[in-house]
Amino acid sequence: MNGGIVDPMDEMQVHGALMVGFAQACVNLNIVAGQDATRFIGGLQINDWYPLSQWEKLQELVIRSYGNVDPIMVKVGIAMMHGWYHFGPGKSVVKKGISFLHYQTGSGGFASVVRGPESVVGSFELEQFDKTRGIAVVHSTTPFNRKMECGVIVGGMTAPGDIDFVDVSNEADPDRLVVEFH
Amino acid sequence: MEAPITLEDVLAENDTKLLSRLSEKELLRLYWKFRGLAKTLERDTAFWGSTNENLKVAYDTLDEKERELASAYNIIREDLEVAASVQTALLPRMFATMASELELSVYHKQLSEVGGDYFDYFRTATDRYAIGVFDISGHGVSSALVMAYLKAQFMTIMERLEDPAEIVEWVNKASFDFLREVRKYATVNFTTFAEDRLTYVCGGGYGLVLAKSGEEYVFEKKNHFLGLRQKPYVEKELPFVVGDLLVLYTDGMVEAQNAEGSDYSVARLNGLVRKNRELATDDIVRICVEDYRSFRVQDSDDITLIVMRKTS
Repeated sequence: MNGGIVDPMDEMQVHGALMVGFAQACVNLNIVAGQDATRFIGGLQINDWYPLSQWEKLQELVIRSYGNVDPIMVKVGIAMMHGWYHFGPGKSVVKKGISFLHYQTGSGGFASVVRGPESVVGSFELEQFDKTRGIAVVHSTTPFNRKMECGVIVGGMTAPGDIDFVDVSNEADPDRLVVEFH
Repeated sequence: MEAPITLEDVLAENDTKLLSRLSEKELLRLYWKFRGLAKTLERDTAFWGSTNENLKVAYDTLDEKERELASAYNIIREDLEVAASVQTALLPRMFATMASELELSVYHKQLSEVGGDYFDYFRTATDRYAIGVFDISGHGVSSALVMAYLKAQFMTIMERLEDPAEIVEWVNKASFDFLREVRKYATVNFTTFAEDRLTYVCGGGYGLVLAKSGEEYVFEKKNHFLGLRQKPYVEKELPFVVGDLLVLYTDGMVEAQNAEGSDYSVARLNGLVRKNRELATDDIVRICVEDYRSFRVQDSDDITLIVMRKTS
């Protein structure tokens, strides 16, 4: 027994593909931390799993570089999902923009890139869906940045190119991401 | 009535008149496409606004750092100017006995504000005199501080010892630990003058005696640098009478290179002195320096050249 204490947050693991996707999005957007992120991502393997703390370090590189980081995180989320769709496995998983929302049912999408105890991992779940009105709500209790998650939904839904309008806001309740789509 | 067409048809025809034929459903699509583009524009504007704000902060920080750097540079500059003045003030002046027996000229140039070449005149315990030429490793303030330290050591011992090998050995012993600690060493070319001869201790640097009789003597480098080893120094004696010429110098001139990468060389400098040996020492130094300047691409080290003639 080594007597080491494991940080509960490190019981959660993040898939290498998500980390590489995040860093690649930062590089593509010429975000200040982009070069740092490239260095950081250098030793990561796309198929391995990493402790959440490593993800947080990566995310912190961006957050500490900006006074107003919200628009940046939204854009990073969008770029991540466009990369996932156009250069990753996205096309085989999501055929239409709306499919991306359904993919989140029961935290399906989220579960493919994180693993660990539910109390730590949280959920990213489609809570409401009204195709006629073009309204959906995703409830998030993940440890990830909410604005990035807003961007993830926008990016995931617009990547297939069949939806004309997507807006995601969480002003009323930070954990409830209200999606308007048409 | 004409058949309804799609947005894609309008775009394919590139004809805005066709817009009137869009169905209600297609018009709605157009509306949401416009809203979608406006939303994308809004997100992009917010992104660039945040990036721009970040750039402004970065520029402000850069400006502040630049001001700090300029301020620090000015402080260093002022310190260096003071150090240069101090080093100049430490350079020796001939005292009476020397001035009455020697015609002496010096060219001394440090590579930067302060340097590592050091020469000095000393009065011996028997009211004779000595000349020391040293080249301290490196350049700049650290070498200049070592110079001041060595000067103090020589000043301390010159009143008590007469023999040059003993003097240099004492200074080496006294300075050894200090020089090792600061990772410095120094060449030593130390010469004492009696009525009709000179005695030197040479550990680095160069010395050439051109006797009026035609004899020539090159200083033998039989010794180690100050601060490198702790073992006795060996001294050598040479005749030095009225009319004889002595040249002492460090490696700064002779190791400087021309555009082709050739050294100025000991042979060239000694040859020039030999050729002009009958001239006043001021003229010999001037000719040597002019020749050196026409040869070298740039100075690469501190330079000390001392030419003296025994006059009485």
